[in-house]
Amino acid sequence: MLKYFFSTSLLFAILFANAQEKKQDSLLPKTERYGLRVGIDAVKLANSFLDKNYKGIELVGDYRLTKKYYLAAELGNENNTVRDNHLDFTTKGTFLKAGFDYNLYENWAGMRNLVTIGLRYGASTFSQNLNSFTTYNSNQYFGASEPTLINQKFDGLSAQWLEVVLGVKAEVLNNIFVGFSFRMNRLLTNSKPDNFDNLFIPGFNRTYEGNFGAGFNYTISYFIPFYKTTSVAKPKFKKPKA
Amino acid sequence: MKKKLFLICSFLLLLSCEKDDICDPNTPTTPRLTIEFYNNLTAVPTLKNVVDLGIIAPEQTKGFGFTGVSKISVPLKINADVTILNFIQNGSNLITTDDNIDIVTLNYARKSIYVSRACGYKTNFSLNSTNGLVRIDGAANDGFWIQGIQVVKSEIENEKDVHVKIFF
Repeated sequence: MLKYFFSTSLLFAILFANAQEKKQDSLLPKTERYGLRVGIDAVKLANSFLDKNYKGIELVGDYRLTKKYYLAAELGNENNTVRDNHLDFTTKGTFLKAGFDYNLYENWAGMRNLVTIGLRYGASTFSQNLNSFTTYNSNQYFGASEPTLINQKFDGLSAQWLEVVLGVKAEVLNNIFVGFSFRMNRLLTNSKPDNFDNLFIPGFNRTYEGNFGAGFNYTISYFIPFYKTTSVAKPKFKKPKA
Repeated sequence: MKKKLFLICSFLLLLSCEKDDICDPNTPTTPRLTIEFYNNLTAVPTLKNVVDLGIIAPEQTKGFGFTGVSKISVPLKINADVTILNFIQNGSNLITTDDNIDIVTLNYARKSIYVSRACGYKTNFSLNSTNGLVRIDGAANDGFWIQGIQVVKSEIENEKDVHVKIFF
């Protein structure tokens, strides 16, 4: 969690630093650029190399519809093995999330940073492979229970959910953005395997006793500009005090 | 901006709560066999407390002692379809001269049932209909102290049910 906090602070620092640089030119005409932004989740990418129990990729994209609204989507694939005390299972599958982001951030002229709140509809198709389990037996009179290898596969599973997304994107170089988002997920449908459970769902992440879950990503993306609009900002004069 | 930071911090807190990682001891997991003891002499069977009852699996060095109770629970093997238990009258006290061993063999089928992320799987048992419970006398040839034994519930799925009644 500390590394997330660190990267969060870093991004906010970038946002604030940018904001201070260009305070003087608020009367210049504002150019708004419209286009497609495509990128990749660096967390899933890094974990694929660092964690031998995980392989995953997530491509992200958004398209600016209006001044404040963006169409947004994430597409990915995950292969995740969980080795708990009593369970060892592998989840494999593909997910797609689609929805919109609303930019709350009022940029100074020439800036294109985003602080967004958004909504996604997510869907995933996947399989669960129960590699082994250790029977829970609170009575150890006949000795501790040994792991049972079973290697049982549950195919054709699916889930659908909604996500509320809080995100930040900052332009660090011309057309290059880094950003992160926190996601609160709520399952809508969940086809559970017989005599097992979907403890991990690709795109949704870990499931809990209820229907809620949470997610995080850290994206690096490239903005492909399509067209520009220019608006002249209305000058605001302060009334001199009488 | 402060409001947003607060929201993000709340998110972080939420992510760190993982209470369902520890199996709650109150969750029903692998059940033990529950036995109730009855008085054999009364016309209508009434519960009867055991005194210094010892129960031990023959291959084990330690067993269980029960006294002043009429309802007990004993474990079954989760890695075999048979568990043998020696029921020893006066077995849990220091005097060995009055011990009377009755050997009870339990034959059953096992089934693994998913419980939860924290508890994993449990084993439920189903006593065989033909030879679920077999009682033989111990080596001392001192006769049965258990006058009657019967299966009242062959599906062993929780410890609240009484599975076997013993009359003595």
